[in-house]
Amino acid sequence: MTERIDFRDQISRNKLKSFFLMFVIFVVIIALGYVMSFAYNPDLFFTIMIFSIIISISYLLISYYNSDKIALFSVNAREVKRENNKLYYDVVEGLTLASGLPMPKLYVMPSKQINAFASGRSPKSSVICVTEGALEKLDRRELEGVIAHELGHIGGYDIRYMTLVAVMVGIISIISEIFLRSLWFRNSDRDNNRGNAIFMLIGIILAVLAPIFVYFVQLAISRKREFSADATAVKFTRYPPGLIGALEKIKYGNSPEKRINKAVAPLFFANPFKELGNTHPSIEKRIELLRRM
Amino acid sequence: MPLELLTWLPIGVWLLIGIVVLVVIIFFSYFNRFAVLGNRIDNSLSQIDVQLKRRTDLIPNLVESVKGYMKHEKAAIKAVTDARKALVSAEGMEKKIKANNQLESALKTIFAIAENYPNLKANENFLELQRELTTTEDKIAYSRQYYNDSILAYNDLCKTFPGVFFASIFGKKPREYLQIAESERKAVKVEF
Repeated sequence: MTERIDFRDQISRNKLKSFFLMFVIFVVIIALGYVMSFAYNPDLFFTIMIFSIIISISYLLISYYNSDKIALFSVNAREVKRENNKLYYDVVEGLTLASGLPMPKLYVMPSKQINAFASGRSPKSSVICVTEGALEKLDRRELEGVIAHELGHIGGYDIRYMTLVAVMVGIISIISEIFLRSLWFRNSDRDNNRGNAIFMLIGIILAVLAPIFVYFVQLAISRKREFSADATAVKFTRYPPGLIGALEKIKYGNSPEKRINKAVAPLFFANPFKELGNTHPSIEKRIELLRRM
Repeated sequence: MPLELLTWLPIGVWLLIGIVVLVVIIFFSYFNRFAVLGNRIDNSLSQIDVQLKRRTDLIPNLVESVKGYMKHEKAAIKAVTDARKALVSAEGMEKKIKANNQLESALKTIFAIAENYPNLKANENFLELQRELTTTEDKIAYSRQYYNDSILAYNDLCKTFPGVFFASIFGKKPREYLQIAESERKAVKVEF
């Protein structure tokens, strides 16, 4: 008999793990810059850091402020009115009462798959989009589970959080890129002593491995936030079987969607691609944890 | 240039100033946290009221649409209108919840009886009201849940460290949950 777990503990445990993983990425940034500053001169370190931070932040700020529009546009979502979608509106309204969150804008996207996503930089400017398949195939309790999960993302500021992580990963990619490219232009008669050569070697190894490493850390963070959103869904509905039912229907029913932009995939409730690197935990693991709540 | 400022006073004094500023900030943040969580509790309580009112507002329409079809079911209809009166005049959240449970029981009876009246079941207005009433019952449940959640957050702050220290300074006490009377915990019965 597996022991019961409390959804509140799940939420805090996964948030803690994702903070820790983000700290790991931060350490990698510092380590990378530190090693490179030995291989080159320290002033260059600061210049590169500032340069890459500015680029990374600008790029991501633009996509962050428009994240909801970008996501909705890429899947052909349309806003829906209450008159034609009473069940959808009623379900969301009930859950906004349970969560204390403001009412998001509601959208539907054309797809036979069961899926949903939430976007927007804060609860006040949030949107939720479900697939036509979800509205057709899920019963009320299962739909509540899915929407509660999405509200969990909104309430946990996950979109903001994952953007922050993406900024940090971006910084590492840029630093590594600059470092590796700069090797082509090095003066070979400067810095030819042994000490610098060792740091140069370490720097190269780090520059190649760091982006790959933090990419997987980023995926791990995404998975932790997914677990946290599942637990938050239980906190709102107090009814794990609803979410479990939806997950099981997805497991047996969903076929891979070809048209979804890869950048949007991590936002979805369930992995729209079967082979995509694991932004979501396995459905089996999610169901197992839900059964214990 | 900013470094020159540090030489105006001995380093020990700067440290002391830093500590005082930190303590003031911590005081402010705990005071505000108590205020925010307390407000949230009050707000969620009024949310329950909003849903209860919506419920009572729907009842007259329901009675009107049912009266024509269920002429002989006087007792059932009276039970609903009486329960509604009790809910409207109830004072204090516990009494209101109790009255709402009474209303829910009366409504369940009406809806069960309606099964025998196919003309009524086909009536769009009646179906719409039935759906609305179910939805508001869900919403009342969610509002109560959120109310209890907000009390939990407040009590957590009052009882954990260092919140417990600030709670005694500001005079904040843990709040009570909504009590359900023992008799209410039994399943709602449908009576014919």
